[in-house]
Order: sequence, then structure tokens, then C-alpha cells
Amino acid sequence: MTEAPGSLRVNGRTVPLENVPTSERLLDTLRWRLGLKGTKEGCRSGDCGACTVLVDGVSMLSCLTLTHEAEGSSLTTIEGISDDPLGRAVQAAFERAGALQCGYCTPGFVVALVGLLRERGTSASVEELLSDLGGNLCRCTGYVAIARAVELVRTEAP
Amino acid sequence: MASLDLVAPASVDAAIAALRTGAPGEVAVLAGGTDLMFDIDRGRGAPKRVVSLRRLPWRTLDWNGPTLTVGSTLPLRALERDPELERRHPGLFQAIRAVGSVQLRHRATLGGNLGRAAPASDLIPVLLSLDAEVDLVGPRGSRSLPVDRFVLGSRRTALAEDELIRSVRIPEPRPSVYLWQRVRPANDISQIAVAAAYSPSDGRWRLSVGGIPPRAVRVPEAEAVLVSPSPTDSEARAAGERAARHLAIVTDRRASEEYRRHLVGTLLERAVRSLATEPKVGR
Amino acid sequence: MTSSPRPDARPKLEGTAVYGVDLEAPGMLWGALVPSPVAHGRLRSVDLAPARALEGVVAVGAAELAHLLPGSTGDPDRPVFPTSTLVYRSQPVAAVAAPTRELARQAAHAVRVDVEPLPVVSDLEEVFPEWPGSSSEGSPHVAAHVRAREGDVEAVFRTAGTVVREIYRTSSVHQVAVEPHACLAEVTEGRWRVRTSTQTPFGVRDDVATLLGVPEESVVVEGTWVGGGFGGKGAALLEPYALLLAKASGRPVKLSLGYREEFLLGRTTLPSVVRMETAVTGGRIVGRRVRLLLDVGTSLPGRDFATGFSIGFLLGPYRTPVFEVEGYAVRTNKPPFGPHRAPFAPQCAFVLESHLDHVAREAGLDPLAFRAAHLWKEGDTTPLGQRVGPFGLSSAFEKARATAARWRAEAGPDTGVGVAVGFWSTGTGAGGEARLRLSPTGLAVVQGEREIGSGSVLAGVASVAARATGLPREWVEVTYEDTSRAPFDSGVFGSRTTGVLGRAVEEAARSLLEELGHRLGGSGPVRLAVESGEVVVERGSVRRSVRELLSDAERTAGGLVANGRHYGKSGTIDERKVEAGTFYPYTDFTGAAHVAEVRVDRATGTVRVTRFGAFHDVGAVIDAATAVAQVEGGVVMGLGTALTEEALWSDDGRLLNPSLLDYRIPTIGEVPPIEVTFLEGFPGAGPFGAKGLGEPPMIPVAAAVALGVRDATGAHVTELPLSSERVARALKLL
Repeated sequence: MTEAPGSLRVNGRTVPLENVPTSERLLDTLRWRLGLKGTKEGCRSGDCGACTVLVDGVSMLSCLTLTHEAEGSSLTTIEGISDDPLGRAVQAAFERAGALQCGYCTPGFVVALVGLLRERGTSASVEELLSDLGGNLCRCTGYVAIARAVELVRTEAP
Repeated sequence: MASLDLVAPASVDAAIAALRTGAPGEVAVLAGGTDLMFDIDRGRGAPKRVVSLRRLPWRTLDWNGPTLTVGSTLPLRALERDPELERRHPGLFQAIRAVGSVQLRHRATLGGNLGRAAPASDLIPVLLSLDAEVDLVGPRGSRSLPVDRFVLGSRRTALAEDELIRSVRIPEPRPSVYLWQRVRPANDISQIAVAAAYSPSDGRWRLSVGGIPPRAVRVPEAEAVLVSPSPTDSEARAAGERAARHLAIVTDRRASEEYRRHLVGTLLERAVRSLATEPKVGR
Repeated sequence: MTSSPRPDARPKLEGTAVYGVDLEAPGMLWGALVPSPVAHGRLRSVDLAPARALEGVVAVGAAELAHLLPGSTGDPDRPVFPTSTLVYRSQPVAAVAAPTRELARQAAHAVRVDVEPLPVVSDLEEVFPEWPGSSSEGSPHVAAHVRAREGDVEAVFRTAGTVVREIYRTSSVHQVAVEPHACLAEVTEGRWRVRTSTQTPFGVRDDVATLLGVPEESVVVEGTWVGGGFGGKGAALLEPYALLLAKASGRPVKLSLGYREEFLLGRTTLPSVVRMETAVTGGRIVGRRVRLLLDVGTSLPGRDFATGFSIGFLLGPYRTPVFEVEGYAVRTNKPPFGPHRAPFAPQCAFVLESHLDHVAREAGLDPLAFRAAHLWKEGDTTPLGQRVGPFGLSSAFEKARATAARWRAEAGPDTGVGVAVGFWSTGTGAGGEARLRLSPTGLAVVQGEREIGSGSVLAGVASVAARATGLPREWVEVTYEDTSRAPFDSGVFGSRTTGVLGRAVEEAARSLLEELGHRLGGSGPVRLAVESGEVVVERGSVRRSVRELLSDAERTAGGLVANGRHYGKSGTIDERKVEAGTFYPYTDFTGAAHVAEVRVDRATGTVRVTRFGAFHDVGAVIDAATAVAQVEGGVVMGLGTALTEEALWSDDGRLLNPSLLDYRIPTIGEVPPIEVTFLEGFPGAGPFGAKGLGEPPMIPVAAAVALGVRDATGAHVTELPLSSERVARALKLL
């Protein structure tokens, strides 16, 4: 009784869902079917944020989302984040602030921050933004440089 | 890959019908899915059929006079970001902020949280203190239950196999507060939580404690101590002590019984004291 | 002090950097490990048939090894698959591969492992509720025993003014790199090839060769980008299994751990019990006894380094005329103890600093002055008889004290300030070889191991190459090769990369410049420079382009190659003081002094760190941004060890919290402002006098936090982590 599947858009490209098993997670569809490995697999339990993507501009954990649940939505992953000036500004801020070391948590952070800036507006305070990033874990930087990147983005975002 | 029978009915009737076509225990409802994913991953005991509610018109939020009605599939973050919520229901706002992360709250829902009835739910204690009601819909029509008659135990609710939660209604704005104790302040589960609220319409306090299995509970023994809208410090302390004495608490790997008992007393006292000086009317 | 931009930043920011978890090859199978269902048991049989019955599944167990590895013996102490006894839960008993990850998981579940359960030893205090002493002679529960002494500590205790005796307990902590372990293996043309996320490609190569019993040259390891190591991605873990599956199936095999498995299979710091006894007379330490019981899981007897190495951090950095130190590595049914960042040193610093602070208070002495008076200085002798080299710890401590005094004066209610110290030694590993290749377009440092994130390779080693040759940093690049082509290096661990590999790079640079000098003729120092968009060689007023100086053969090969080699040298200890086991001398002495301002909720025991200062004796700063980043990252990781991280084990040897929800590392909201200060001028073993910085920032953190809690409330906590419940108990709230 499974319904006829539709499609979704990823970084502007239409992706049909007909061959995607219903139990498949968005994380796996992105990484293994579409070859978009920039979205990272960390804990697969929703606790680390490394798998964060934007679904209709809203940040979500792709490890806890069934691909078919995103049917009809427009997704942005780290690979598509630079299509947009805000995304590029966040990436540039991370680079200038030295906000990455091993880089594994970085795509999740960048995407989460872009989502937040859209949601709260680029005039949101640094405190507000940092208080909304508790779902992204980093083990290398101690978050200090990441907080600096958040400050930089606020002062320079388009 | 083991394929899942996943359906996303376009109407409430179709959704209810979809629930009835599975064997008991084999059908699960998907709202935000953040808890359900773990059930799906299980080998044995995983649901065979999943009914997604994403097409139903329940992503709603209505302020109707004093009453707030939240559609059961509204993502928590949308409720959190409503410009009126923090002012009118500060305790609920604080409790929502305590759930997981922003990314999680973009999918997790009030309906899902209630339906799962996890003992450590951050939302249930506050809903108890706000006298929230759960609106259910099924083949036999609609019915409503107060939260404490809906949540029956650890992961057990009064929801029938063929019923769905349509909405949650909160009757009136109340001065309220939600305090918790956790290992770390973000992205964590509470060892103990308390939700205090004062009802302007009946002049009585509501004190709930969560985080102790099997489920969050009101503590009438503690409420009985508070006889005015502005309790004194010693009344607040007495309320905390009563709750600490009366509640059934166990030791688990998150915290020992004695520590939880101590926390109940401390946090309840704090919650009451923080509300004691708040204006009680005119929200 | 300079900082260089990181060439790895863009691929990581754009999502194109390939990590172990991302690896893929056409026709690959997914592997999965079959875990032991018990923590201790006699293995009766392993039935792979139910797994093989699934379509496309390949399965290997002990019975297949003779066929897959003809004529090899492997390591008799570390069989790839156990044949008689299972010693920890999740110990791999067999491995399967299947066309999909899901099927591999199902196949692993389908394997029937028949076990006769045996009694489980889960808690080291179960084995030794009291200090073991001579009754433990020959005990199967002891993997290692170390003892050293100087003088008669009992006699000193009898006549001392004050003797303070305490027991401390520390918990198991896990590395928690955000990227789990993963590798992709393929066996072709007699070569065992594996691409893997690792800190130590050559270490993996050697491990695999030993475990499989195949020649080293037949194993080729290529490192990918690493999503965090912290000691957990050193030795081989998944590679042998992936390779065996690849051999058995004739296909590439990908083995990628789920995060639960990451915890269950993790080799890391395990619990400890430490008995500290210190005697003080007239304000001076006159004698100490240290007794360490360290849980080492199923570490093999004779192969444990932890006890002898770590025990040094319970003695130093303090002068002690008379002492007795003894340690037992206790075997329990857990995975073997493995290196975590600054292995066990943060726990030692917590114990030692808390204890000495307590001793001072009991003896009526100022705790900071007391410790300052006993700190090692250059020229002192460590308790084990090694001469202390250039050591900036006293200076760092004084700066920390001054900061603490300022903060204490400004502190609000329920707020206290703690000062703690630690020391470390720039790691050596087995040494390093560096290879430089000079072409008209720049200088390449040819590497085996990857930049794992700290910057020690891309910023540290590359900066050394630039400084040593005179080339601007932007003209130096790092290139990676697999182990069959890259020069040997021990790997990125032990705070050794900039230090030891950096020295090898210095050697290679010296050799390169010498060769160029011969070709140039003349005399005087040779330097590289850039002119008209290409690299030139300068000697006095003579300048020639590299292009002109290369032979045709060199031009074809990509440039002029120079090699350098360095083996870190440790000092020596006085073996007369050693009565049992092995102790370890140091290569250099790196000091760290930390200041933690904490606010304690007196009603709940919750601790929040509100400000932090880190003073590091680094010898020389090679790359400023990298150095600051290491301290920031290490301090926050240390806060996790201090406050929230604890792996919990059940009586039957099960890890109770193998998830990132229940094992809590710090989140962004818990990070205080961190002030970082470097002290240069006390040179260490590395290039330009640099000392390793990867691990020292971890070490004094928990101690500083604990002393801050004591300063704020008087509560004396003798267990790690300082959970709110433990602090509540120490505050006598329960």
C-alpha cells in the first residue's frame, strides 16, 4: 500500500524518489545515491549535528529524517550552500576565524548557522545564535574560533 | 533493505483508516519522527507500517482569546518562535528550549512528545501545570483528555490503536516556570525537572515534577502548602520539602534517589520563589 | 610568530574533503563485525552458515584464517579471531561482508556464537578492594607491576609533622572524535591495500603486518583526511578485518563503525584508584607514597606502557626527597586500555594537585606557596633521577597565580578560582623521516600521515620547512603518499609531530641546502628565495634559479629530493631506584599552568566554569594560530573530563552509555572565555626549541576546576568527573 513516490530537489536539482527504499534516511540518500558526501555521518542518533541539512531553508538532522518525508521539499546541503551569498559569507567567516581543524563538524555547523541566520535574521545577537548551536558538537576547536566566526558573520553578512 | 510500508494519507479519515489496517503493535505514527527512527532501526519489534501525518492540516497554532491550541504536528521550533509564547507561557517556552537542539525541534512535535510519553519528557510536566488537554480523533469521533489522564505511565498513553492526537489545548496564560537539572545545559535529558504555574482564574498553584519514572506527576501535597499568589520563602521551602518527601523516586544511572529527592526540593522551592513576585494577572 | 592560512580549509568548508567514512570503490562490499555477546566466556562454536545463507554475504572467522593467510602465524598473543576465550563484550569474533550496509548488519546478527559464560571482572576494586601488595604476586589479574623508591618512606612518615592520606578515583573517558573509525580495503596483486582514517599510517601498516603475519612491504596504507583522532586512531582497529574480508571476497570491502560500536570497541582511558600519602614537616614535603591501580581492560601482560608512564605524572612536577611509588595495571573484561589525548595525565594532575592542595590546608600552609616551593626547575633531578632540562613551569605558575589573585579579587558570590599545573614531554614515537622535494615552483614536504586537523603538519611542519630554508610559507606545500612511497614517520600523536618530524624536516632542509650549495659553488650560508615567480637559491651575492640547478633527471622526477631523519632522544632515569617494571624518561619538560574561575550552585552542586586562563611553556611558537587553537581545543576537551564525561560499566562488563546522548562532551554554550599565554625561552626538543603542544592543554584542566570548586565552597571532591551529584555530596547536601 506504499504510495507512488514523488521527488525532491537537492541544491536545485530534481531527484526522483521511486528507487529510494522507504526506510532510507535522507543522510544515506544524499551521501550514497547522490554522491553528496559533504553532509557527514557522525552519531546517526541526532546528537552531534554533523548531518545537518536545510529542508526548505530549515535546518534538520538528515540522519533522523526518512527521505520520503522530504518529498516535495527543496534541500540545501553544504555543496549547495555557496550558491547563496549568505552561505558564502558563513564559509568565509569560518575560514578567516580559523574555525575548523579536522573539519568533520564543519559542514554541519555552516549549514546550521546559515539556517539560523535566515530564521532569526542577520541582526540576531551573537548570544542568541550561539544558544541555538548546542546541537552541533565539535571536539577539536573548543568552539572558541567558531564563536569568533559567528561574530564575524554578523558584522559582515549581506 | 527491509522496506517499510510508509504511507502519507492526505486526510484525517484516510489516516485513521491506515491505522486500522495493521496488526496491533505493528503500526506506528510518524509526526516528527525523531524518536520513531530508533524504533525503525530495531530488528525485532520494529513497526511494519508507518503512517506519516505530514499531509494533515495540523501544523497550526491558534491564540483564541486566552486559549492556545497547538496542532499536534506543528514543529516545536515554530511554537518556540511564536512572538506571544514566551510572554504568555514562559514555562512552556523554557521547556521547549530544553528539548534537544534547534535541528531536532524543527521536526519534533508536541503531539509526538505526548504520544511517546517518555518519563524524561520536558514538555509533559509543564503541560500538567498548565492543565493542558489533549484532543484525540478516531473512528468513533473526537474526545479530549486532560494530560494526566492521557499519559498513563512510562511510554503508555490512553491513545487507542486507531486514534490520533489532533491538538493540544492550553486554557489560559499563567505565570509559569520550568527548571531542570541535567549533566550539561544543552542537548541533554533532564535528571529532574519541575514545572510551576499559578492559575489566575482559580487562585491555585500547580506544581509538577518530571524526570522520574514512570511519568511526570502533579504534587498536590506540595500545592496545598501554597495558599496565596505570593508565597513566602518559607512556604516555598515547605512546598519543596513536601514534594521531596512524598514522591516515589528510584536510583538509576543518571542520578541516585537521594540526589533526586534533594533536587526536587531545591528546584521546586526555586521555581515557586521565582514566581512569587511575578504579577499574576494581565498577561 | 606567524600564522599561515590552511590549505585544507576550503575542501573542508565546501564538503569535498574525503574522510574514511566517505570512502567508496566500484563493486565494494560493506563489512560488519560480529561481537562477542559476553564479557567473558569460553567459545564453543561460531556458526557462520546462517550469515552465508543470505544473498551475497561473505563471512570469515578463525577457521578461514589458515586458508586466507597460508603459512602465516600472526601474533599468538593477539589472534585476529579468538578461538578459545572471549574477554570483552563486542570483541570481534568473526566478520561479514555484504552488498549493502543493512544486509551486512543483518548477516552479523545472524551469526550464531555459542558461548559458555564465565565470571566477569568489571571493576578493578572487585579484584583488589584493598591495596594488593605482595599477595598479588603472579596474579592473572595483573598485566604490569611497577615499583620505584628512594629512601625509607615509612620511617619518614613516623616522624613527620603532618601525614595526609587520601584515596582518589577517576573514571573512564573516551576520545569521541566526531568521525567514527572507517576504512576501505582491497587485496590485489599480492598487496594488502587499505585506505583508512588514521593518525599513524605506518603504525597501521606494521600492526596489520604483525596481526596477519604478512611481510610489511606487502601492506600499503594510505591515509585519508581524519575527522579527529585524539589517540583513538593510532593502532590498527578495523583494517585487519576489512583486509581479510577483501581477500575472502575478492572485492573491495568498506568497514565503517556506527557510533555505538565506536564506544563499545574504543580503546581508551579506563578507571583508576589512587592512594596518595604525603608527609610534611616545617612546610616541606619530606616523603610521599603513591599507589596506583589502573584498569587496563584486556591489555596483555608485558605490553602495558600506561602504568609506568603515567605514574610519573603522579610524582612530578614536584621535588620529593623520599618516595615510594607503585602501580598495578589491573586486567578487567573491557577492551584494552588505549591512548587518549595525554594518556591518563589529566587524571594524574587532578589527583596530585587536589591532594597537594589538601595537604597544604591540613598542614596550615598556603596551598599555592606550598606547591610553588616544590616545583621542578631546570637542573633539578626528578624523583626517578633524570635531570630536568629547560622548564618554564615556575614562570607559568607565577603568571597563573597573579591572574588568579586578580580574578579572586573580582569574584562574585559562590565563585572561586583554582590554579593547577601539569607537565608533559614532547613525544618521540620511533622517530621520523622527512622528505623534501624542491622544484622551480616550490618546496614540497612529502608525507605519509595526514594533517589530522591540529595543524601540526600543514602549519607546523610546513612552517619549519619554510623557516629552515628561507622560503615564504606560501611556497611550501605538503603532499601525501601512501606508505609504499612516503618516508617513514611514526605518526601524529604524543605531541611529537612538529617536534620530531619537524626536526627531521630541519635535517632534510640542511641536507637540501648543502647540496644546493655544492651546485652553486662558493661559500657561506645558502637560502631559498622567490624571484620573478620562481624559486631561486642564494649564497651571498650569487643567485641562481632552481630551474638552472636541476639535472634533466631531477626535472623529470619532479624536483631535487632531500631526506632527513630524526630520532627523539630521551634522558635517562636512575635504574637503581627501580624495583619492578619499566619507567620512562622524558625528552624534554613542557610546563602548563591553568587558572579556572568557577561558579558553584550551592544547592544543586552544579559547576559552571566562567573564565579560564592557560599559561603554556612552549619553547618556541611555530605557528601562532595553530598553537592558540590547540590550547583552546585541549582546554575544552579537558573540561569534559573535568565535569561531564564518564563511561559507565555494568557488573557484567557492559558499557551502559555508548551514545552521544548519554556520554556528554561539552557543547558550545559551556565554553568560558579562555585567555592563552605562551612562554618562550625554555627550549625543548623540537625545531627552534619548540615543545609539543597537542596534549599539554588537556592536563591541568580538571585539577584547576576542582581547586576552583574547593576555593568557592570548601568542597573537596576526590572523584572525577565532578558531576553535580558528587559535588553535592562533597557539599554535604545529601
